[in-house]
Order: sequence, then structure tokens, then C-alpha cells
Amino acid sequence: MTLDPSFMWTAFLSLFKALPTTLMITFVSVICGLFIGTVVALCRIYRIPGLSQLSTAYVTFIRGTPMLMHLLIIYFGLPILIDSLAAKWEWSFTSASIPLIGFVFIAFSITAGAYMSEVVRAGIVAVDRGQIEAAHSIGMTTPQALRRIVLPQALAVSLPNLSNSVIGMLHGSTLAYTISVVEINAQALVVAANNWKYFEAYIAAAVLFWGLTLLIERGSGWLEKRLNAYHRGGVM
Amino acid sequence: MIQLEQISKSFGKQEVLQSIDLQVKKGEVVVILGPSGSGKTTLLRCINYLEKPDAGQITIGDLKVDTKHPTKKEIHALRQQTAMVFQQYNLFKHKTALENVMEGLTIVRKMPKDKARTISIQVLEKVGLGNKLDHYPVQLSGGQQQRVGIARALALNPEVILFDEPTSALDPELVGEVLSVIRKIAKEGITMIVVTHEMDFARDVANHVVFMDGGLVVEEGTPEEIFQRPKEERTRQFLSRITPQATYSI
Repeated sequence: MTLDPSFMWTAFLSLFKALPTTLMITFVSVICGLFIGTVVALCRIYRIPGLSQLSTAYVTFIRGTPMLMHLLIIYFGLPILIDSLAAKWEWSFTSASIPLIGFVFIAFSITAGAYMSEVVRAGIVAVDRGQIEAAHSIGMTTPQALRRIVLPQALAVSLPNLSNSVIGMLHGSTLAYTISVVEINAQALVVAANNWKYFEAYIAAAVLFWGLTLLIERGSGWLEKRLNAYHRGGVM
Repeated sequence: MIQLEQISKSFGKQEVLQSIDLQVKKGEVVVILGPSGSGKTTLLRCINYLEKPDAGQITIGDLKVDTKHPTKKEIHALRQQTAMVFQQYNLFKHKTALENVMEGLTIVRKMPKDKARTISIQVLEKVGLGNKLDHYPVQLSGGQQQRVGIARALALNPEVILFDEPTSALDPELVGEVLSVIRKIAKEGITMIVVTHEMDFARDVANHVVFMDGGLVVEEGTPEEIFQRPKEERTRQFLSRITPQATYSI
């Protein structure tokens, strides 16, 4: 078997067509996941009756099942749910009008939320209790104290772990090809199938993912430096 | 005027405060003394509801709060009328000295930014930190951090400032600068309740001294009464043990 470097380059270029899809999936799931994760973490930290138990169940179930399963369950289950509700309440909205990528957004946001809630929770717990007491002492309400004082510090602490989650979601986004969403992995498959050069196409895709991952690492390193400007000292 | 009536608090079975009464007049500096575990810090933290009292009533000006069943609004109001200086400073770590002081003005008092900035700079200058506005807490010494803490409380112009052992975490060398700032603002007629172990300072700055032990007010009176002619045996015991150690002179 011989390697065809020039085809690798062709494949690499054609993968860029699918780049926006991959980035969209990653971006949406990370942002929604961060939001869900923060809410879930707060429910658990403040032990809100009902919501706290629900949050724990959510986190253990989602972290206990593969990401691919979430996607498939949403893809096959959500239409049934929506259509039966639509029939009952006579909506004009049906599952057919949801674009494929919509299922990916929903499923992966749920996945990311569970993982990120643990990251955010660890970050919040790491913030010194005195910080929220000081915020209360100057008359802030708890939501103000969380938004202005606790969460920014928690975020700075969790940044390295969050960047791990982002990388995880980027790589996980390849699973979207199972429901025919053309992201980078699926695009590689398309290019390869036309030419019977799977190896080259997948190498090209791997290189592209590697590059994206490096960008995320760089970005988070830069952000970490910026957010932690106040934190000179510490162990290192 | 601030009035505490029958404030009680237990941690589990341990009764930390047993129906404490305390009255503080406007402009008065009240110093609370007592051995560790006597409940003095807990009492202070009950006033702004950082610690939830089991029973009792807190009155600050027109605000009257039944501490057993306060509404969220009442707790919030209590905290808006008071400010606290902490033993561990508790400056907002991710904010500069100036931002620390501005935070309460812009977020809680909803003051426009430039006005808050002007006031904050004035207050920081008053505590001698006009040249450290853009420093983060980690870049400041303990004494400087605590002075920012005082500025943060002072800027809010509260009914009362609560000092929770403001110099206990400081190097002996840095105690003086913080005490002299507190002394300075005490002279301006700001109402203060101070928990401290600095006897010289207490004697010098207080209008009224309260000695607590075992969750009770053992004795209270003017500094002369407490330091020169203590009535209770327990007070005498405490003072004789602690006074020789207070050797800072400012």
C-alpha cells in the first residue's frame, strides 16, 4: 500500500467545508453545557430541595452513559415526544421541522452540562467562604455575590479543566456523523469514499483536529494568564 | 442607634450566645473583649446576619428585625445598614484595591461609576493608600489589605462598622498602621463595634467596653470602669492575664 500525499492535501482542504459545522456543534454544546452545568452545580451546592436530587440524578446518569447513546436517544426519542405532544395540543410544530443538527445541539448540550457541572462545582467550592461573606457584608444579595464575586473566581480556577471539557466536546462532535450530520469526520468519509483513500482522508482529519485542539489549548492558556493576573504567587 | 435584645445562638448543643442585650448609641465606639470562645465574634456576625441568631431582636435606626423569622428583605436591609471588617481581610481577590471599594457603591448603592470612583479614591487616600489604587490584594501587605478592607466598609457610609479582630492576623509590625487608621475614623464619629485583643487600643478608643465570657455579658461600662475598677472576678482574671502582653505603643 502506498501513501498519496497530494491526495492528503486535497482531502485536508475539502475538510474545511465541514469545519463550521464542527465548530458550531462544539461551541453550542460548550456554551449551553456551561450554563446547564452552573445551574446544576448551584442546585447541588445550595441543596435546593427537589432540584438538588434531580441534578444529582442527571449528572450520574449522563456521566454513566456514553455520549453516543445520548445522541441516539435524543434523535429517536425526542420526535416521538414532540409529535405526541403536538397531536395532543394541536400544535402546528412537528419533529420534522427540527434540523438534524438541532438534535446534536440538544444531545451534546446535555452531555456537556453533566461533565461541566462537576468542573464548575469544584471551582465554586474552591472559592474561599470569606469572599461571599464579604460580599454579603457590603449588602450584596446572594445572586449578586455569585455573579460578581464567586463565579468569576470559580471560573478562573476551573479554566484548565474547562478547556479539557471543550477539547472533549470537540472530539465528541465527530459522533454527529452517526445521524448524518456532515462534520469533519463525515466529510473525511465522503472524500475518502469517492477516491477509496480512507487512510489519507482520516490522517488529514486527524491533523485538522490536532490543529484545533492546539488552538484551544493556546486560547485557554492565554485566558488563564489574563483571568489569573491577580493571582501571582501560589505554588508555582 | 443600635439595639440588640435577647440575642441567642447555639451551635448544636453548645450555647454560644445566651440572650445578649447590647445598646450602641450613634457615634459611639463599643469594644467587646473576652477570651476565645466567649461568643464575641459570633455576636458581631449576628448583627449583619452572617450568622443566623436563634432568637432575639435587632434594631438599627428605624429597622427592626425579629431574628427568628426575618424576611429576605430584612436581612438585606440589615446588611445595607452595616459594614464589616474581617480578621482575614476578605478582599475580593480578583479586584484591585479601587475596585474593591467601588463594588459596594456601584452594585449595591447603584451609584454612577465616576461618582463611586471619586468617593473610593477619597476614602483610600484617607487610609493612606492613594498610591495603591490599581494593586491587587496579593500585591499588598497584610496591613495594606486590611486598610483597603476598612476603606471598603467606610465608603458605604453605614450606620455602623463591625470590626472582627481586625489586627489578629497581622504581623506585629503592621498592627500599628491599621489601629491608627481605625482610631482616626473613630474620631470622626462613626459608630463602631470592635472585637479586639488590643487592650491599649481598646482603652484609648472605646466609649464603652463590654466584657463577654461563656456566651454572656459579664460586665460592661466605660473603659475606666472596666480596666481600672472591674467589679467581676472573671473580668479581673482576664485582664491580669492579657494586659502584660499588650506592649505595642502607637
